[in-house]
Amino acid sequence: MRLLLAEDDADLVATLKKDLEAAGYAVDTADNGIDAEYLGDEGIYDIAVLDLGLPGRNGIDVLKHWRASGSTLPVIVLTARNAWHERVEGFKVGADDYLGKPFHVEELLVRLTALLHRSSQQPGGTLRVCDLVLDEERQSLTTTDGRIHNLTGTEFRLMRYMLLHPGKILSKSELTDHIYDLDSDKDSNVIEVYIRRLRQLIGSDRIETRRGQGYVFKDF
Amino acid sequence: MRSLQSRLGYGLTLSLIAVFTVLWFLVSFSIQYLAEEYVTSRLRHDAEMLLGAIQFDKAGNISVDESRLGPVYSKPFSGHYYLITSAKQVVSSRSLWDQQLASTPVKTGEQNSRYMGGPNDQLLLVINNGFVKQGNALSVTVAEDFNPVSQSIRQFKNRFAITAIIMLLLLVMLQVFILRHGLKSISRIRTELQSLQRGDADQLNANTPIELSPLVNEINHLLSVMEQRLRRSRDALGDLAHAIKRPLTILQQLTNKNQSTLPADLHEGLAKQVSEINQLTDRMLKRARLAGQSHSGARFSFSQDLPELIETLDSMYSNKSITVQVNLTEGIRCPIDREDMLELLGNLLDNAYKWARNSVSITINVNATLDICIEDDGPGTDINQLQQLDKRGVRLDETKQGYGLGLGIASDMVREYSGTLSFGTSNTLGGFRVDIALPVEEDVFIPVDTEGS
Repeated sequence: MRLLLAEDDADLVATLKKDLEAAGYAVDTADNGIDAEYLGDEGIYDIAVLDLGLPGRNGIDVLKHWRASGSTLPVIVLTARNAWHERVEGFKVGADDYLGKPFHVEELLVRLTALLHRSSQQPGGTLRVCDLVLDEERQSLTTTDGRIHNLTGTEFRLMRYMLLHPGKILSKSELTDHIYDLDSDKDSNVIEVYIRRLRQLIGSDRIETRRGQGYVFKDF
Repeated sequence: MRSLQSRLGYGLTLSLIAVFTVLWFLVSFSIQYLAEEYVTSRLRHDAEMLLGAIQFDKAGNISVDESRLGPVYSKPFSGHYYLITSAKQVVSSRSLWDQQLASTPVKTGEQNSRYMGGPNDQLLLVINNGFVKQGNALSVTVAEDFNPVSQSIRQFKNRFAITAIIMLLLLVMLQVFILRHGLKSISRIRTELQSLQRGDADQLNANTPIELSPLVNEINHLLSVMEQRLRRSRDALGDLAHAIKRPLTILQQLTNKNQSTLPADLHEGLAKQVSEINQLTDRMLKRARLAGQSHSGARFSFSQDLPELIETLDSMYSNKSITVQVNLTEGIRCPIDREDMLELLGNLLDNAYKWARNSVSITINVNATLDICIEDDGPGTDINQLQQLDKRGVRLDETKQGYGLGLGIASDMVREYSGTLSFGTSNTLGGFRVDIALPVEEDVFIPVDTEGS
């Protein structure tokens, strides 16, 4: 899952980025409103964490612009001011969730997961597609035979993205976009290696290769 | 203090009445005087004509040549009489018939006049002239009935009075109209002030007569200064919150992250203090942000802000499906600052959503006070603990930022508005129930269409 973290406080970004990456997100950061708006418009993010007190352009305006340009990017708003009129304003311009500072990282992670499930219309709680159950906290996968497999970071991200988008053609470039952040060395051939690993775990017929198009995760 | 319009109205009406009364007296006296003057001068001419008709015989007896006099002196009780008195003789006109005309002696060449009663209830204006003719001194008394003249005068006076009263009424009406028209800008400012109190407007219309424009400009100036000050202080507090929360967030995250390496008591102490500072700053900042009962800033709107607030809460608690029932009288206005009201309802509804199983109900009524009642179907709270709830800093649930903080902020706000806050158990839903009564200014609920009142 590719996440945009728009927050101007370098210290907070440093710790938060580490935590988010550990939780399986590919994190890009923006420390001002103008960059944040630009990045959000790229359409490569699955979710955004947006601080309202951004320099350059405040978070409300950034969000307003995103929504005006038709973006449905799920957004969690962060704010220090914590006033209700700001919350109302935030939701009115299209925020999906709201978190007041200071917050516990765990709470943010829970809300991110919940929001991702909600936006891909998956029921709440654990991510379960057919008989596959993905434990997002432990980053482990329970397969049809009941065995629990621990996944590496990239495997987890790839598995989660596929489970959240079942039945859709996912091109290699889309997968790399949503799995790696801007600073990573993107080699789409590596995706093939990870697909192979996942096929070993869930059965090769679950991930179909469409020549020239990409992969489809089958949710029958 | 009485209204400007009625004061001006009374003053002008009284002065008009005074002017018309004086005028009436003046005209009455003048007309009476002129009539008397006229009749007197006519009588003098009659006396002189009479004098011409008088002849003396050798014995000094008087004879009057009646042919030289008009027929009025021959017709009985005609209203025109004469009486000639010489040293020997008294001759009176035929019109006097059997009546006598009392004559007062008068010196030669002099004249006096007076009123006296005459025959047939006539009021006679009598003049007495002293003459000498052919060496005989005589006094010629001529009288004329003044009643017809008096009657004309009375008629004139009545007509004049009626005309004056009609004029007076017309003038009073005209003057009321002029006053209304002239004071229209004041009553317009009054309605504008009402809409200002309601929060429908944030400035008064500066297009007023020059007498009022300093006042209006000053009010507008004060309003904008107050609004700016409120906004500036709210912004500053927001920045302060931002500044404090930043290191707090990091401190909290460092504490959490190093839970394993920190001694347990140190970690617990740090975590507790951080959350304490957080709650304290939240509460202090929110209290400082309250606009209170000032008339600047936007008002809360039940029809617009309340649904938005409920939508916000629905999004925040999207994992629960909570039905909100809003019992609200149509079309009522809220006299309270928008941000304050959002803060109050936000905190209370947040609590209700947090604890409710399925439903939350909000009841809002406006009478002498703005009454808000929020109920939920959650577990409710022990009554003994409830009494401590609104005291500063007391929290029921230290870890969950439970009822305590939200209710604390709400109770700060209610105190700022000199209202009351009480807790209890909901009769209908079975959970927690908060009742709030905020006093409101009566003026606020006057309908808009009171113009010209």
